[in-house]
Amino acid sequence: MTVRKAIVAMALPVALIAAAVLAAGAASSTAKVGTGAAGTAKCGLGNGKKATGTPIKIDGLDMLIPGVDFTTVGKVAAAYFACVNDNGGINGHPVKYTLYTEQLNPAQEAALARKMVQSDKAVGIVGNTSFAECGTNWKYYKSKGYVVIGAGVQAECYSTPSYVETNMGPRYSNIGAAQALIGAGVKKIAIASPDTISAYADSGVAELGSQKGVQVKIFPTHLPVTDATSQVLAMYQFAGNGNGIMLDFTPDTAPAFMKAAISLGIEPKVKWGSSTPIANTLMAAQFPQFDGNLWINQEFSNVDPKVGPDSALMFQILKKYAPSIAPQAFAQMGYMDAKFSTIALLNIKGAITAKSYNLAVRSLKDIKTDMLCKPWYVGNALPYHIPNNTDITVDYKSGQVVVKQGCFDIAPVDKQLTQTRVWEKKYHLN
Amino acid sequence: MSSVLAFSIFGVQWQFLKPFIVVGLAFGSVYALSGVGLVVLYRATGVLNLAFGAIGAGGALIAYWILNHTSWPHWLAYTTCVVFGGVVNLAYGMVFGPAFARRDPLVKMMGTLGLALILLGIMAWRAPIGGAFARFLPLPSTSHIYQVFGTSVNLTQIIAIALAVVLTLVITIFLRVTKLGTAMRALANDREITATLGVPARRVEAAAWFGSGLVCGAAGLILPDLLTSLDYSALTFLVIASLAAALIGRLQSLWVTLLGGLVVGLVQAVLAPYTSVTQYRSATPFVLAIAALLVLSRRRVVSISRAQ
Repeated sequence: MTVRKAIVAMALPVALIAAAVLAAGAASSTAKVGTGAAGTAKCGLGNGKKATGTPIKIDGLDMLIPGVDFTTVGKVAAAYFACVNDNGGINGHPVKYTLYTEQLNPAQEAALARKMVQSDKAVGIVGNTSFAECGTNWKYYKSKGYVVIGAGVQAECYSTPSYVETNMGPRYSNIGAAQALIGAGVKKIAIASPDTISAYADSGVAELGSQKGVQVKIFPTHLPVTDATSQVLAMYQFAGNGNGIMLDFTPDTAPAFMKAAISLGIEPKVKWGSSTPIANTLMAAQFPQFDGNLWINQEFSNVDPKVGPDSALMFQILKKYAPSIAPQAFAQMGYMDAKFSTIALLNIKGAITAKSYNLAVRSLKDIKTDMLCKPWYVGNALPYHIPNNTDITVDYKSGQVVVKQGCFDIAPVDKQLTQTRVWEKKYHLN
Repeated sequence: MSSVLAFSIFGVQWQFLKPFIVVGLAFGSVYALSGVGLVVLYRATGVLNLAFGAIGAGGALIAYWILNHTSWPHWLAYTTCVVFGGVVNLAYGMVFGPAFARRDPLVKMMGTLGLALILLGIMAWRAPIGGAFARFLPLPSTSHIYQVFGTSVNLTQIIAIALAVVLTLVITIFLRVTKLGTAMRALANDREITATLGVPARRVEAAAWFGSGLVCGAAGLILPDLLTSLDYSALTFLVIASLAAALIGRLQSLWVTLLGGLVVGLVQAVLAPYTSVTQYRSATPFVLAIAALLVLSRRRVVSISRAQ
């Protein structure tokens, strides 16, 4: 047999099977839920003049690992700062924003924090999002007097003084989604999160379940997901018809489970809950099978330019400065991170230094935006911050994300949230 | 009858385990398929190809691009995916094969790791993850669903299992009865002597690279459908399960490799409903490969002592 014949012989079964495969195949809601005043939002001073002064250094650090890309937050923050720089900057000084990425390596995270603070001499850290960075760096930032404005995931982002997040994170978002599912009548909930954050992100749902008499089973999931079908099947077998399955994944990962559910034919048999990340129109368009059967906790207002001036401005900024990024929850986080940082920068009287900037951040309170149910704040000398603790429930409908339930308080299943609401009243934070 | 089948295995009813067995066999078949491709290449060239998953992922991404950004027919996308595997593997083998021919197996293997990293970098550059969407490469066969022993099985799963068995059988026969197959086996035993005897070593190796690449492309076409997502990093690292299958087959036996792949897939899927171990399922390939190596090395010690 010649080499050519041999190759043909080896290729034949493959081709035959490929042929067999081929033969076989012969209203977006505009409900206003935010706190922003009517009118138009603007980037910084909004005067249309390009800032040309000495740059102000702001840095950010986002996680980028196989299966999860959090750089959207930092990229949108960069887009917002670019818009600020085209509109007068910070009293004529442009913001020079540098975004670093990390791969869940604590040594790398610690080194990058030191680079940003000591080597880059960034006056502030903005837009950080990671499964692990808060835990690695909060002590260091505290020792240097920094308060990071970011979007949190793990416990230390909401239990240490070094971070103030524009989102409420997966733990509280999952609790919100579980509240909505329980309100819809489920008696059992199966919940899955990435294994690196599952203990923190899912235990709130378990606590809520025990308070409400609802059985909860947690499925920690290793990323990247390699057998979504088996996992969805196991979750369905636990929950049973009419009960709840909750997914706590980014749009990189959640679709694998949703596709698996469709291929198994179980998507109409259970009620589906999710934390915020899958609340976007691209996902809604990809998964019409879930229309009307989703209870997604949305930590912000619906992603819709008609919601209010900040939402409208975010859409404009994305179009002009970050056209490759789809409007979504992570974009809202990046937008607010940079907006609130810009407000702090503009509030500074005198020289902008790390000390004056972080002091200005600590002084932020009652910041209104149509992207949040209640005004956002940092609050002086608080030992931790959970300023975003009230949100909405959304669903998919004909390729759009629509509001299913208006603003409601996240159930205070832990002491931190109870204490946060006490501080809000005591110090008139929002 | 139903009462007879209503037994449970470690607390999970048989009825509930059946769908996991189907999923596991389908995944296991692709692991086995890839494992067989790895073994054939190793036997002919001495190279353990760590880029197997990355090459398959590259082909799958090209197929995805054709399906979603051109009006070209679907068959062309699927064929391109399979052929891409063959061409990239062949190109690597032809360019780097001779340079690495006299080096240690470890060096040869590290060369393919370099290829895997380059391909990963290209995929991350040209098709970054993130944004607000995920990629899918569904096969039309998946929509054909049948009831087998009371559980649903789709045609893609059946194809995966059939492809693994048929290909293992075809390659076994090919290696035994054809001149080229004999030449491949001879090369595996001693490259220098075989070449001295007039066997065109480079052409035989080229056939092994190309054939094994086609298998890699076929696996890259089927896996995204079974995974329900086209995640190139997940596809790239699924080579680990295939390596485990190949190691269970001692990089020699195609049938044991087939069995090893099926067992890896099966164990991984069947552990899913067991809460206490479900989160450790991803360690299945390592555990089974280590167990196989321990058993095999034990056997070797016994045989040596007998010889003494």
